[in-house]
Amino acid sequence: MPTITIDPVTRIEGHAKITVQLDEQGEVQNARFHVTQVRGFEKLCEGRPFTEMPALMARICGICPTSHLLASSKACDDIMAVRIPETAEKLRRIMNLAQIVQSHALSFFYLSSPDFLLGMDADPEERNIMGVIRKYPAMARDGIKLRQFGQRVLETLGGKRVHPGWIVPGGVSHPLQADQRDQILTQVPEAIRITRSALHWFKGQIENYRAEVRSFANFPSLFLAMANNANEFSAYNGWLRFVDANLDIVADHITGVDYMNYIGESGNDDSYLKSTYFKPYGLKDGVYRVGPLARLNMCESAGTAQADEELAEFRELERHSVLSSFYYHYARLIEILFSIERMDMLLHDPEILGKNVRAHAAPNNFEGVGIMEAPRGTLIHHYRIDQNGLIESANMVIATGHNNLAINHGVLQVARQFVKGNALQPGMLNRVEAVVRAFDPCLSCSTHAAGAMPLDIQLLAADGEVVDRLLR
Amino acid sequence: MLRVLVIGYGNTLRGDDALGPMAIERLRPLLLDVECLGCQQLAPELAERLAECELAIFVDAACDGEPGLVRMERLSPKPGGIASLTHHLEAAALLELAQALYGRVPQAVLVTGAGAVFGNREGLSEQGQQALSEICRLIPRLIQDSSAIR
Repeated sequence: MPTITIDPVTRIEGHAKITVQLDEQGEVQNARFHVTQVRGFEKLCEGRPFTEMPALMARICGICPTSHLLASSKACDDIMAVRIPETAEKLRRIMNLAQIVQSHALSFFYLSSPDFLLGMDADPEERNIMGVIRKYPAMARDGIKLRQFGQRVLETLGGKRVHPGWIVPGGVSHPLQADQRDQILTQVPEAIRITRSALHWFKGQIENYRAEVRSFANFPSLFLAMANNANEFSAYNGWLRFVDANLDIVADHITGVDYMNYIGESGNDDSYLKSTYFKPYGLKDGVYRVGPLARLNMCESAGTAQADEELAEFRELERHSVLSSFYYHYARLIEILFSIERMDMLLHDPEILGKNVRAHAAPNNFEGVGIMEAPRGTLIHHYRIDQNGLIESANMVIATGHNNLAINHGVLQVARQFVKGNALQPGMLNRVEAVVRAFDPCLSCSTHAAGAMPLDIQLLAADGEVVDRLLR
Repeated sequence: MLRVLVIGYGNTLRGDDALGPMAIERLRPLLLDVECLGCQQLAPELAERLAECELAIFVDAACDGEPGLVRMERLSPKPGGIASLTHHLEAAALLELAQALYGRVPQAVLVTGAGAVFGNREGLSEQGQQALSEICRLIPRLIQDSSAIR
């Protein structure tokens, strides 16, 4: 059977390939997304003191170290059985929001904007960030500036942009200073201007992408995200909730180790990335999505003025939940807007300069779970320690793993829509990559393994013969 | 007065790779009118600051050459050096980015010190220390006599 191989999948974080299998007539029979790297963090942290975990876990990834730092610290808070000071919680939330801004800006402007600005069918030599810089320098400058805003906040609070520190078990290591706060606040208006401008531009483009909207992992699925009593957007505190495609709640108030009753993890023989699923429905029917699309589907309001206006418009896309994964991009921009507004509110809180920012305690539990929303979706860190406080086992359930079944569903859907095996064009294969990009997968985090392989698309014939291959 | 930016980059947890950031720590009190910036890696967000200065000095560790050897080379924008902007960016590619985005690019020099050890450790080797001292003598002179690189 002829097979197309896209290797590597480009403009994503990490290394993966896609295989597309064709029948005798060149029609797509199957398509799979394979993650080809393995990192092994769950194993290598065994035996380490639990207090080292936040710093160690931040090394999982250079793009979202802050998310792991936060989830890990929350798991350690749980082991210590402490309630962290209110100021510390607010500071951690600011850190998380800054992480969302910088990561979403990277995804939208650096990785995906070449598809929107230059076209899905543009010459691959030109359809990259340099092509964007040449043709749309103002947009490129805006993208860099917006990411810079998020990174500057991370640097101001965490000491550095990549692998920051500061967040520790029990809170944060030191209070925020007034001049640091003021420095961040001066940058807020420009960051909001850029985000609003990008949103305005993107909304104007949607009409040109009807075929992509229809086929980019556009299917009814469950959604998972954090929820709270106010039903507002929640990225740091709350519990886990599953809703179906009609937004009816199917599981709610999931906290701590209870996640294991609802989230199953299944290994794959052709990928280092596990597939997670909603356990009560089983692997076949338990497909769910996490991340910006899930969060916006889940919440009733964002909780900030401008993001709420955008959210109301977003909801008009569909009657119930927004199902097309093409809209992850749109949701990402709304989340950036929300994050900046919320940061602004938190920084104006008089308690934000409070000096009590850390609770101290020895271990009081042998087990701890930290759950929060990373930019790409729900992140769970779960540790067990021995009586000396050393890690006995660690489990990390990461956004890209949650989305793996949906990504595979999307790859097949797009391949069937666009790929014609007997008349292959680069734009067809680019759309297969682009549906993966819509989810913004971060593969370093999700596989815990040492990667050397990049992305690969294969076109397979009915007898398994490789008909065409795109290797990068 | 010449607007000068000195950027020292490297990983402080990988032995002599810390040479760049350590040079910045040592130079900062000596170069009061100069913007000194230490970072783990070069990133596209630096392009704007680069476009605003007239002389940029990049300080990095080199893993080739006799350990302790200090080298200096003039840099110019490197077309085609920008790939994804997410993980790896060379100094010359960053200059290209500044040129493409802001239409300006400074005179630029790359100063490297060859290291001996790049494993998981904090602190420089003896040869790394020698290179650091030499770099910290060289850069103030370089700034003072900027005509040397014009």
